[in-house]
Amino acid sequence: MTQQMRPSLDDPRVAIPADSTWYEPAPIPQTERQAEFLTLREGEMFVNMGPQHPSTHGVLRVIIKVNGEKVVDLDPVLGYLHRGVEKLCENADYHQAICYTDPLEYVSSLFCEAAPVAAFEKLMDVDVPRRAQYIRVLTMELNRIASHTLFQGWMALDLGGITPILWAFIERDEIVDMLAALTGQKLLYNYYRIGGVNGDLNHEFMSRLGTWMSRAAAQIDSNLALINENEIFVRRTRGLGVLDAKTALKMGVTGPNLRASGVPFDLRRDRPYLVYPELEFDVPTRDEGDSLARYLVRMDEIKQSIRIIDQVLHEMPDGPVMAKLPRLLRPRPGRAFGAVEGPRGVYGTYAISDGTDQPFRMRIHDPSFVHLQLVGPLTKGNLIADTMAVMASLDPVMGGVDK
Amino acid sequence: MDRRLAALLQEKFGERLLAPVRQRYDESEIRVALKDATDTLRTLHDDPAFRFEMLIDLCGVDTGEEMQVVYHLSSSTSGDWLRVIVPGLDRTAPRIASATFMWPGAEWMEREAYDMFGITFEGNRDLRRIYMPDDYRSYPLRKDFYLADDASRSPAAGVRNMERAGTPADATAATVLRKSPGV
Repeated sequence: MTQQMRPSLDDPRVAIPADSTWYEPAPIPQTERQAEFLTLREGEMFVNMGPQHPSTHGVLRVIIKVNGEKVVDLDPVLGYLHRGVEKLCENADYHQAICYTDPLEYVSSLFCEAAPVAAFEKLMDVDVPRRAQYIRVLTMELNRIASHTLFQGWMALDLGGITPILWAFIERDEIVDMLAALTGQKLLYNYYRIGGVNGDLNHEFMSRLGTWMSRAAAQIDSNLALINENEIFVRRTRGLGVLDAKTALKMGVTGPNLRASGVPFDLRRDRPYLVYPELEFDVPTRDEGDSLARYLVRMDEIKQSIRIIDQVLHEMPDGPVMAKLPRLLRPRPGRAFGAVEGPRGVYGTYAISDGTDQPFRMRIHDPSFVHLQLVGPLTKGNLIADTMAVMASLDPVMGGVDK
Repeated sequence: MDRRLAALLQEKFGERLLAPVRQRYDESEIRVALKDATDTLRTLHDDPAFRFEMLIDLCGVDTGEEMQVVYHLSSSTSGDWLRVIVPGLDRTAPRIASATFMWPGAEWMEREAYDMFGITFEGNRDLRRIYMPDDYRSYPLRKDFYLADDASRSPAAGVRNMERAGTPADATAATVLRKSPGV
């Protein structure tokens, strides 16, 4: 048996022409914008990043046009994780559709289920029992903390710091294990149901939560001390990727990214759902709008989440956790938009019912998708390495972007 | 608050509305004709009485008989949310004016609607496929796009026309699997 020779790059048959920066046939421009992007001026070249790049938080390919070390323009290529969740949901019944939405943003699954559940409950005029509402708030806030701690680690990792992600995972693993004790799953919880939640709080969850709460604030503070006063981190992110409030509104930005630009828009307060109106919390904002502000807003939100969890644990009423509903749900024809404030922004689901047991159309709106648009405008003129710092501070999750 | 919005919308747009303002829970809904869509959106955005400055969502809808484009707006002064439905886009060649002149952030959402439904947004500078490959020919979220397991229950009985590159010469018009003209 002869071993097949691997082709050498010196072989003229596989050699890459020196004037080409494409490893594949260069794309034919289809639009004005793409034609502009594909036109190289003196001194410019394309650099490909991804689709398997550690700092893209998933499978994202970014084509960067550079001039020397400076980013001139960039073009994200999406679709590597596209699963067609909306089409799948249209062909599933209302209960099944919820579990399809779980893997959208796999670091904050509970918000991805909360949005369709909210929309379906509006379609069906279901009243959620008070205890179930409190449980939802409790689990969502835990999920938010898990997501934000992971963001903290990722952000530092993208800027070259290895230690913070190890510390972040300590917190996150504890929360994830806690939720696993409650829901039976570590990541894709599938816990919310139309009309309530899948099961009442159990002993293991409560005891772990109690232990964690007793040290959470101190632990998170020490995590923050690791980064917040790190000179390299602060100098690298301050003034980088500045997004002003007006542009942010025009670009459809929501969540911490918008609040870091000084707009105090938070659905939990502006368009209250569940029991949020009864809870006391602040909406942290910053005016700078740079990467550091986006990071700090999220860190402030962790503290508010702990505050909310504390109140929820004190005020949790007794009672059922599921409304009484028929097994087969056939809502009347109509339209509903359910939205929740997630760790990245507004998670929305627009559901249309035509009177059958399957949604006629289910649109999933994901904040990461909108925020990823900003990477281009925010990184122009910066260094290539700062693309990652900006992208990390916007905190997109590709599972949600690609649906 | 919401009742005031309904009266205001009725007063401002009056005869332009295709249906009376509908309100349910915290959502208001208006329907405007295709030719009035841009003007309505601009008024909703600029008028100091409304100030719907945030585009929360933009999506396409295929009812099986026509295409629709649906905007969800949020007001930055009153906190109201409004759904603007633009029905009556031709199913064979749906076209509508782009909203990117007002919300540049709508660009990718329009690209998605183009990718999934084939709706052309006139004025969008970057209207090309976003999820599917560039050489992909069909529009997956249309109601005549067969899923693999639809074959058993579809009228076309086992004919799968998903990922069909171009329409065969002898093909009859694709069967719409599920229609809901009412929505």
